[in-house]
Amino acid sequence: MELWKYIARRLIQIAIIFFVILTVLFLLFRLAPGDPVSRMVDPDMTPEDAELLISQLGLDKPIGMQYIYYLKNFFTGNFGESFHYGQPVIEIIWERLPNTILLFTTAIILSALVGVFLGKIASWRKGETTDTFLTIGALVTHTVFLPWLGLILIWIFAYKLDWFPITGMISEDVYLDPDAGILTKFLDVLHHMVLPLATLFLIHFGSYLLIMRSSMLETLKEDYILTARAKGLEEKVIRNHHAAPNAALPVVTSVGLSLAFSINGGALTETIFTWPGIGRELVMAVSQNDYPLAQTSFLLIAIVVLLSNLVVDTLYAYLDPRIRY
Amino acid sequence: MEKSNKKSLNRSPLIARFREGWAIYRQNLLGKIGLTLLVIFALMAICSFIPPLIDPMYQPMTGVDPDIAKSTSPSLKHWLGTDFMGRDILSQLLAGARVAFMVGVSAAFMSIVIGTTIGMLAGYMGKFVDTLLMRLADMIMVMPTLLVVLILAALFGQLNIWTIVLIIALFRWPGVSRVIRAQTLSLKQRPFIEAAKVAGASHMRIIFRHIMPNVLPLAFLYMTFRVTSAIIIEAALAFLGFGDPSTVSWGMMLQWVWKTGHMFKAPYWLLPPGICISLITLSFYMLGRAMDEVLDPRLRKEAETG
Amino acid sequence: MALLEVKNLSIGYHSQKGYLHAVEDVSFSLKAGKSLGFVGESGCGKTTLCMALMRLLPPNGVIREGRILFEGKDLLKKSDEEMRKIRWKKIAMIFQAAMNALNPVHRIEDQIAEAILAHNPVYSKEEAMKKVEDLFMLVGIPKDRMRDYPHQYSGGMKQRAVIAMAMACRPTLMIADEPTTALDVIVQDQILKEIKGLQDRFKISIIFISHDISVVSDVCDDIGVMYAGELVEYGDRSEVFSSPAHPYTKALLSSYPTVTGEKYKLEPIPGEPPNLINQLSCCRFCDRCPSAGVLCKTESPVWLEITPTHRALCSSIR
Repeated sequence: MELWKYIARRLIQIAIIFFVILTVLFLLFRLAPGDPVSRMVDPDMTPEDAELLISQLGLDKPIGMQYIYYLKNFFTGNFGESFHYGQPVIEIIWERLPNTILLFTTAIILSALVGVFLGKIASWRKGETTDTFLTIGALVTHTVFLPWLGLILIWIFAYKLDWFPITGMISEDVYLDPDAGILTKFLDVLHHMVLPLATLFLIHFGSYLLIMRSSMLETLKEDYILTARAKGLEEKVIRNHHAAPNAALPVVTSVGLSLAFSINGGALTETIFTWPGIGRELVMAVSQNDYPLAQTSFLLIAIVVLLSNLVVDTLYAYLDPRIRY
Repeated sequence: MEKSNKKSLNRSPLIARFREGWAIYRQNLLGKIGLTLLVIFALMAICSFIPPLIDPMYQPMTGVDPDIAKSTSPSLKHWLGTDFMGRDILSQLLAGARVAFMVGVSAAFMSIVIGTTIGMLAGYMGKFVDTLLMRLADMIMVMPTLLVVLILAALFGQLNIWTIVLIIALFRWPGVSRVIRAQTLSLKQRPFIEAAKVAGASHMRIIFRHIMPNVLPLAFLYMTFRVTSAIIIEAALAFLGFGDPSTVSWGMMLQWVWKTGHMFKAPYWLLPPGICISLITLSFYMLGRAMDEVLDPRLRKEAETG
Repeated sequence: MALLEVKNLSIGYHSQKGYLHAVEDVSFSLKAGKSLGFVGESGCGKTTLCMALMRLLPPNGVIREGRILFEGKDLLKKSDEEMRKIRWKKIAMIFQAAMNALNPVHRIEDQIAEAILAHNPVYSKEEAMKKVEDLFMLVGIPKDRMRDYPHQYSGGMKQRAVIAMAMACRPTLMIADEPTTALDVIVQDQILKEIKGLQDRFKISIIFISHDISVVSDVCDDIGVMYAGELVEYGDRSEVFSSPAHPYTKALLSSYPTVTGEKYKLEPIPGEPPNLINQLSCCRFCDRCPSAGVLCKTESPVWLEITPTHRALCSSIR
């Protein structure tokens, strides 16, 4: 089917891009000022272990060989050991990745859906109070500085009102309690997720709203809308069945284009709310000079962004038959 | 005699266009608000030079009030209070305005220069050069700028503010280049380009003499959007602790509030920098939207018939 | 009694530059089973006229005065809800194929079925689809293309699909707005035959709009010539064609080349149509008219009845 061919093509593109990133990172780490060895080898290691690691990573060999070792290590899942945690990087990443995906995906999907819905309403009530209210709301929330918004939300809802916990993904007692069932744990996580989700949501839904609004206004001028009216269809049907599906397409594109921006926001949110995700790991790893962890976190985030792009593009191809056929 | 005539001929259409654009711009409420806010911020930036002149105590980075050693709420002496070290918050805020403009405009300007050049080259040269450049643009566009700067900070140590500006510019040009490329492609077909080619103009000359002037208004429009993203990225970096430690930016101020645990105790410290970052973003955005209407006649019509 | 009677219809648009007189004081009538063609250059008001008949004018359009009597009842007095029921079921429209008249994200069969189900909610989805199949057969599109999307159709096929859609509810009146423009000549011919065939078979009344007088004279019983918002000549097809009265009609006919007959020089009409914002108190064509007299420039022209079935709006004909 056409769609599978499209996905396959894009996967190849992604593979190429990722390869380039991998290589650039390799070069950066080797060529940056300072001793590259110190970046790979934990300074607290014993000399024997250090020797072993150096030969494992091929740091004593010429740079061409190092590159081969690097690739081999990467594709066999050997990302080294974190200086800070003393654990293999892959274990840490494995733990953190689902948390990021949970928060990030929920936020993007929620803000896209709400943004499209409200944008449609705003376009329909153009010029009225609802529209003004929604547009200004979207504009303001969209331009607020994310970390600051997060801090304000924590201040008001967690600190002052004590409705939500200030940090973390799950309460310690729930996490450690052997009797706590899945549902309890799930609800607890949800409880912790409200504020970070709200932060990400507020920052993103505005732009989708504004795009949907102007897209609807444009779409309503199209000829096929005139046809729909001439057919004697109800306004509601025309709006929702004929205009909205066409108008939503630019929003999908926009989600794709702003994915890099969204991931920035995701990392910031995780850091503020101490949400144990990869974004936060990256930030912490960088400030602690934990090179193996930092490097791998970055690569993983790159993969997440690339794959998200693919998902969005596939979604667009699915929604727009002109691409599929 | 002839030369001056030519010059005035060249100038008047430009001035006429500017006047026309200004007339349209003035009608746009959002644009006016945005411009007003920006003027206020610009004034703040200019005023940032004043406090240290009055009294070295108001030096944003180092000026510590000898009487105060902790964070205090607003008073007559310190209109916005002091931070945890006893430094005046207002002077920090003013200095932050200066930094915001500096970072925003420089990064935006650089990314416009890079983006426009690449966009024109890609559109004009076509084929291999075009594909190569656009693939490069695609790759860069996928990268989350903030995180890239983080990785670079890890490798190269603490970053200087100008390095940050440069990196931001290097990662924000793809958006501009796409638009410029599209514009160049449509311009390429126009007869006046053909005429220049026939007259024997070299490619360089055609690009810079003929295409660039027509492409510049669009480039400047996109500059407003670049400014906002540059300011936000710098602020986020400073907030996380990776900014230039010798410059006071609003993001840096937020970092201090956060890291010193004054987040809940000192609203006079928490609120101003965040409000400023948000407002300046908003005002540039409104400016950009209003300029969009000036440059794109289609958007104007919506206001007419609606 | 005529199926459709339009009396003194005047339509305008509110624009930033002022009030545009798009259609001024137009009157005509159409009997059941007959066809009427409107000819004129771009901007003469023919499309506006048809949009008004279905009350599909844009928000800034206004019907200043006049009456549209369809089956004896004034459409202008009907509520939105009533109009909605009349649209497509009684009066349907065939749009130009080059237009984006079909929704790009829905299948063709769904769009046609939608029209059927909107006006006949008693039908089930399957019954509606069966009707769609019949319609496809009617216009000559292969059944296996039913599930396609609009972008997969060629121009001619799209036009047929649009015609099929217009026929979906077996309307009494069909308005065809430039249905053959932007199609190549061979397909044009096919489509015209198609429309004529449908008219003969189902006894539908048709209002045909075109800027091409040859197309109109092929299909229609009566012809109306429009210029700058006014109806300047109106009457039986053969009479208008063989003995055009209004200078504009004459100019239109002579600017059209024929394959047979004597060779003559093509005469383009000099000048441009007038600005529709100003309400003129003289003939709108007088600036470009080769036989303009003194009266034409100072007074509004009056209707001259040449035969009971042929009239022209001109002061300079004797």
